[in-house]
Amino acid sequence: QNITVKGTVKDSRGESLPGVSVKVKDSNAGAATDVNGAFSISTGANSTLVFSYLGFATQEQPVSGRTDINVVLAENNRQLNEVVVVGYGTQRKGDITGAVSVIGKKELDQRPNTQIGNLIEGKTAGVQVLAPSGSPSASLSIKIRGTNTITGSTDPLYVIDGVPAQDTRSLNPADIETISVLKDASSAAIYGSQGSNGVVLITTKRGTTAKPKVDFSAYAGISTVRKKLDVLNAEQYRQLVTELGYSTDWTQYTANNDWQDEIFRNGASQNYQLAVSGKTEGTNYYISGGWTQQKGVIENSLMQRANFKVNLDQKVNNWFTVGTNVAYTRYNDVSITDNTNVNGGGVVLGALTTPPNIGIFNANGTYTSNPFQQWENPLASIYGSTRPYKNQRLLGNVYGEIKFTPELKFRSSLGIDYINAVNDYFLDPYLTSYGRQNNGIARNETNLTNYWTSDNTLTYNKIIGKHNFTVLGGFIAQKYRYENTYIQTTGFSGNTIPTTNAGSVIGSAYNNKSERFNNSVIGRVNYDYAGKYLLTANFRADASSVFGNNTRWGYFPSVSAGWRISEENFMKDITAINDLKLRAGFGVVGNDRLSGSVYSYLGQVSSGANYIIGGNVIPGTYPSTIQNRNLKWEETQQTNIGIDLTILNNRLTFSADAYIKDTKDLLLGYPVPRSTGYDVVSKNVGKLRNKGLEFMVSSRNIQGDNFTWNTDFNISFNRNNVIDLVGQQFFSNTISGRSEISLVREQQPLGVFYGYVYAGVDPQTGNALYLNNAGEKTSSPSADDRRIIGNPNPDFIYGLTNTFSYKNFSLNIFLQGSQGNDIFNASRIETEGMTGPQNQSTAVLRRWTAPGQETDIPRASVNNTDNSRISTRFVENGSYLRVKTATLSYNFPKAIASKLKLGSIRVYATGENLLTFTKYSGYDPEVNAFTSSGGLATNGGFGIDYGTYPQTRNLIFGLNASF
Amino acid sequence: CKKSLDLQPISDATVDNSYNTATQAEAALAGAYNTFVSSDYYIWDNTFTSDVRSDNYYAGGDNPDFFQYDNLRLTATNSKVYGDWSNLYNGILKANTVIQRVPEITDPGLTDSRKTQIVGEAKFLRAYHYFQLVKNWGGVPLVLVPVSTTEPSDINTPRASVDEVYNQIITDLTDAVAALPDTYGGDASVNKARATKGAANALLAKVYAQKPDHDYSKVLTYTNAVINSPAGYTLVSYSDLFDGNHYNNAESILEAQFNGTTIGNWSPSLLLPPSITNTTWRKFITPSKDLAKAFDDEGDVVRKNQTMIFEQAPWVDEYWSATVNGRVPFPYKQRNLTNGNSTSRQYMLRLGDVILLKAEALNALGRTDEAATQVNIIRKRAGLGNTPATTQADMALAIEKERRLELAQEGQRWDDLVRYGRAETVMNSLNETNLVTGQKVNYNMTKEKELLPIPQTERNRNPALTQNPGY
Repeated sequence: QNITVKGTVKDSRGESLPGVSVKVKDSNAGAATDVNGAFSISTGANSTLVFSYLGFATQEQPVSGRTDINVVLAENNRQLNEVVVVGYGTQRKGDITGAVSVIGKKELDQRPNTQIGNLIEGKTAGVQVLAPSGSPSASLSIKIRGTNTITGSTDPLYVIDGVPAQDTRSLNPADIETISVLKDASSAAIYGSQGSNGVVLITTKRGTTAKPKVDFSAYAGISTVRKKLDVLNAEQYRQLVTELGYSTDWTQYTANNDWQDEIFRNGASQNYQLAVSGKTEGTNYYISGGWTQQKGVIENSLMQRANFKVNLDQKVNNWFTVGTNVAYTRYNDVSITDNTNVNGGGVVLGALTTPPNIGIFNANGTYTSNPFQQWENPLASIYGSTRPYKNQRLLGNVYGEIKFTPELKFRSSLGIDYINAVNDYFLDPYLTSYGRQNNGIARNETNLTNYWTSDNTLTYNKIIGKHNFTVLGGFIAQKYRYENTYIQTTGFSGNTIPTTNAGSVIGSAYNNKSERFNNSVIGRVNYDYAGKYLLTANFRADASSVFGNNTRWGYFPSVSAGWRISEENFMKDITAINDLKLRAGFGVVGNDRLSGSVYSYLGQVSSGANYIIGGNVIPGTYPSTIQNRNLKWEETQQTNIGIDLTILNNRLTFSADAYIKDTKDLLLGYPVPRSTGYDVVSKNVGKLRNKGLEFMVSSRNIQGDNFTWNTDFNISFNRNNVIDLVGQQFFSNTISGRSEISLVREQQPLGVFYGYVYAGVDPQTGNALYLNNAGEKTSSPSADDRRIIGNPNPDFIYGLTNTFSYKNFSLNIFLQGSQGNDIFNASRIETEGMTGPQNQSTAVLRRWTAPGQETDIPRASVNNTDNSRISTRFVENGSYLRVKTATLSYNFPKAIASKLKLGSIRVYATGENLLTFTKYSGYDPEVNAFTSSGGLATNGGFGIDYGTYPQTRNLIFGLNASF
Repeated sequence: CKKSLDLQPISDATVDNSYNTATQAEAALAGAYNTFVSSDYYIWDNTFTSDVRSDNYYAGGDNPDFFQYDNLRLTATNSKVYGDWSNLYNGILKANTVIQRVPEITDPGLTDSRKTQIVGEAKFLRAYHYFQLVKNWGGVPLVLVPVSTTEPSDINTPRASVDEVYNQIITDLTDAVAALPDTYGGDASVNKARATKGAANALLAKVYAQKPDHDYSKVLTYTNAVINSPAGYTLVSYSDLFDGNHYNNAESILEAQFNGTTIGNWSPSLLLPPSITNTTWRKFITPSKDLAKAFDDEGDVVRKNQTMIFEQAPWVDEYWSATVNGRVPFPYKQRNLTNGNSTSRQYMLRLGDVILLKAEALNALGRTDEAATQVNIIRKRAGLGNTPATTQADMALAIEKERRLELAQEGQRWDDLVRYGRAETVMNSLNETNLVTGQKVNYNMTKEKELLPIPQTERNRNPALTQNPGY
């Protein structure tokens, strides 16, 4: 006789499990749990029910006459059950059909971090983190699956608890729970307009336990530079410049200091974080506060960040929930001018090229400068001015969620990102010669960013038998407003007042405002059949104010499918395979982020080109952009196929992805002939392709009671190619006096190096020889003899993490590397060029001085760059492998911890950049001199060393405690 | 929703709302004049292209690109060559915008006569810039309307011939002469700030002289038009020209206007001696020994003292002093300086130049005696006796030398040498010795080096451009 059995299925944490298969053993009858984990089935009173669900151990329950059976399923594969944040919702990892990487607690806790970029570097395939400098204030930039823009930003879209944001430097990594990286178009397409560079979803922490939990963490560390470079001493310098034809009263200059010793110091960092979190009936809260300080290895460089955060979710009743996520950050720094030569005030090249003879101060207390030119000594560049930068930011949202029925819910959220950044600058009127010439200079610049987003989504989730549907629809509106004010004054009576009001002459003063607006409609369907056949389709229609009426709307569809082969009956007996899934997806994403003005399509007329007539300043205007009403969305089409495999009793997880990413109608800052009167116009031009392979392996090698050993490895291969550039080629990144180094050309990857082929030194004349196109050696090649001489794109990048734990000890070693990339060492042009009165590296001791001499360094030639042209001489192998971090930690035994009235206590020591294996001759192989310049310079200009603030070696000691 | 998406610039205007009123027409014109006070070319690069490249001055400072002008080793990748090209074409765009837009303005506040004047002023400016282009680079792309599309076929303009460029300059200047008044009233600070009939005539004279097929009868016509202008141009004392207390003087036909604060001239801070700049580093331009000798040989104290100032320099100068703290001359024609900014001006056109051009025309037309009269007017002002030259050939050389002494540091010398066909002779017979190395400097001047290279960056952007021979 049949009875009706009802019940719910939950996991061990008490979360209900929807879509669990409930079968009557030895029959065809079956049902599945609904979205609340509830089921109802008619079966014999003595039958047996079989509960099965992917990622959980199958469980059998004899009915034995019961009508109410509640089941808790035990997980057998945590990874598949992990809930992953995806665009506008969450998904179980096992159900994902796109290319999504998750960086979770395990990875986040491995090392102390100051920036989001640190968290991601080397941890997942397909993501490259580029540091423009090792300065504590440097903002890391992230590239997902290569560069698919030539002049636009390569940064992905960051979404923090649902609020899109651009600057991540002021975010506090300690508050982050997980990071999801949406790499392919099918996962990113829901962000349509902004997803072309991929999307990084950041979820911050929430309460997890009923008992309030207090977490405290602190660390302190010191940092040093990896190495110093050898430069000429005072006597050698004097000989060199004498040979160049410079002379001075040398009795005035009797010092002999290595400026590297003056500018480098031991850096120091400290960080304190305190958080309270908990979960009570209906309420979930997380409150945190923290303070971080980093003093860089170059004098005066500093970064400080204070932050607090509140996350709160309140269930008002069983159909209504409200909540908020709010973070306030106060960030300030003092930056050092790097990535430029001494003439431009660059401190690193200043340290290498300032004469050792001159000492730091003159007798009258002012800073010394090069006796032959006005270049300040590097300490004057550091301390001659004050340069505080302050940034205050409020980022967060409020939301309300209404459950109309268990299946249908509506969510409305209003997010804001408000940033007020102030740059102050005061150049002392006495200390430096430039300061004296202007009687002091003060600047004040304020940048205000005001962003809001309103998201309204409706989600419907329905399970019918083995069919599981989720449908999402919504409207999104977003508005940005930027405001900028700037004033510069000169003519100060002294150095007591550093603000612009004390300057007697207003040099320039301006104020700028601009706005942009986006309006979007989104839709998504997720469907799976018995967890076996999976389908996701997205659609987003987006309108952007940066385009004209006719081209304003862009349409971005995507579809992806997954087949979980391991769920098929014919695989059931193959127990060695725990999970096997094939994924394939295709999608289109767009980009409306212009590198120029947000009003480019209109043809702008700017002000400020004034002229004096009759003694009066007459306001003058000038056309600043070419009108382009055809400006439209840039589109990226991406195809992705992937495989996920878990074997050996869930101990080995492997996943691989292959992709082709085609970007067309690139939104280009297009360099036009200057005969038009313009320089760069915004235009849709060209096609770009990135294709690549990504592999990730995660292995639990040893799982003993006392000893465990886990290994995670990822490697990515990306190939970038400029398919079409309407026959044009773009040059960028000028090395002083020697033209541009970076080239973007059809059928080449972005940013190849362009220059001459070096052919050694002519033993008769001492001149540098170069190969011309006819293959002959000449000391005077023509500009047309230049060719592609290097490629900064790596063949592959990789990361390897090994974690060993023995009893309460744990050792984590993270290796990271890049292979096959070239570096253009423009620093060496400055330190081996011998064209002026700069100090040089000891390499120039080998310089040619007499006819017949065979050497690799040409003769010194004053004010003439022919012997130090951009050439293969300065192209170096930039491959490296480094021990990025090694962390040894100790968890105090529970007994000790509880004696200290603590729930847990962990201490650790971390070494960062401990060892670096590279053939690169500069300070450090992680160099990207121009990546903070923006536009063409950035995307065509990575892998160039031009006096870069080096990455540092850090030693950190820390403590985590909770109760 | 559509309204939210139709955002207009807040801090900029657009082409649709910028050229509708009388005030906007004046603003567009002021923007066009602004090139004289904002571009490196007119601030000081023209001193490099003309005076430093010639026998007048040496390069100094720290930028190898500047030394290429001095040593006559210019390359297509020289950043100044590219910058100057860009500056001049940006000036042309602004002039073209005025020429295109202003006639379409229907604002009754803009009278037809003022409209005509405005277009005339813009045509003058366009001609001025094209004249710089054609004499420095030869045939250049002729762009006469602002581009409105970004199609390569519309913007990759090939080079016109030298004749075509000169013909366009002459057409524009002829229009300007017809459209422009002799003066805009009695205020010199207006009349010297704006293009006038006198300015257009003076430029026509220079253009007809500089053309490869010099038309000296036209030069004579137009120099006379300037000299006899109702604007009343007259020579002033030579020291008044440069002492900084006599801006917009009676000799000035057109000068770039600076106030030293919001519109300041920064080049004097890079040229003047330590006693004025209060900086001890080597300056960017140094008068040559050959120039100093030319003054001395002539006994020309008045003009030498206005052109250069000698001072102890705390560095070694490879031409003047092999030891530190030797006496070194500094360029002195722009000498007002406060806070790194200056009110000092370069004359865009002045009567002294025009009078010597008239002498040149008369001499070329065989009227050597009359030429001597003109030369002597200039010599007398400098406190010198009459020129001893009597034959046509001697007179040509005398005028060349007179122009050198009169117009040093004013961006004229290279054009003069090229016009006289003397650039090779003069540069290759220079006797300049580098005191540090003891080597004689060899300039290796060739006919091809009369022109600058077409900037490589511009050729990369515009594949339709050919390079000048020799580069």
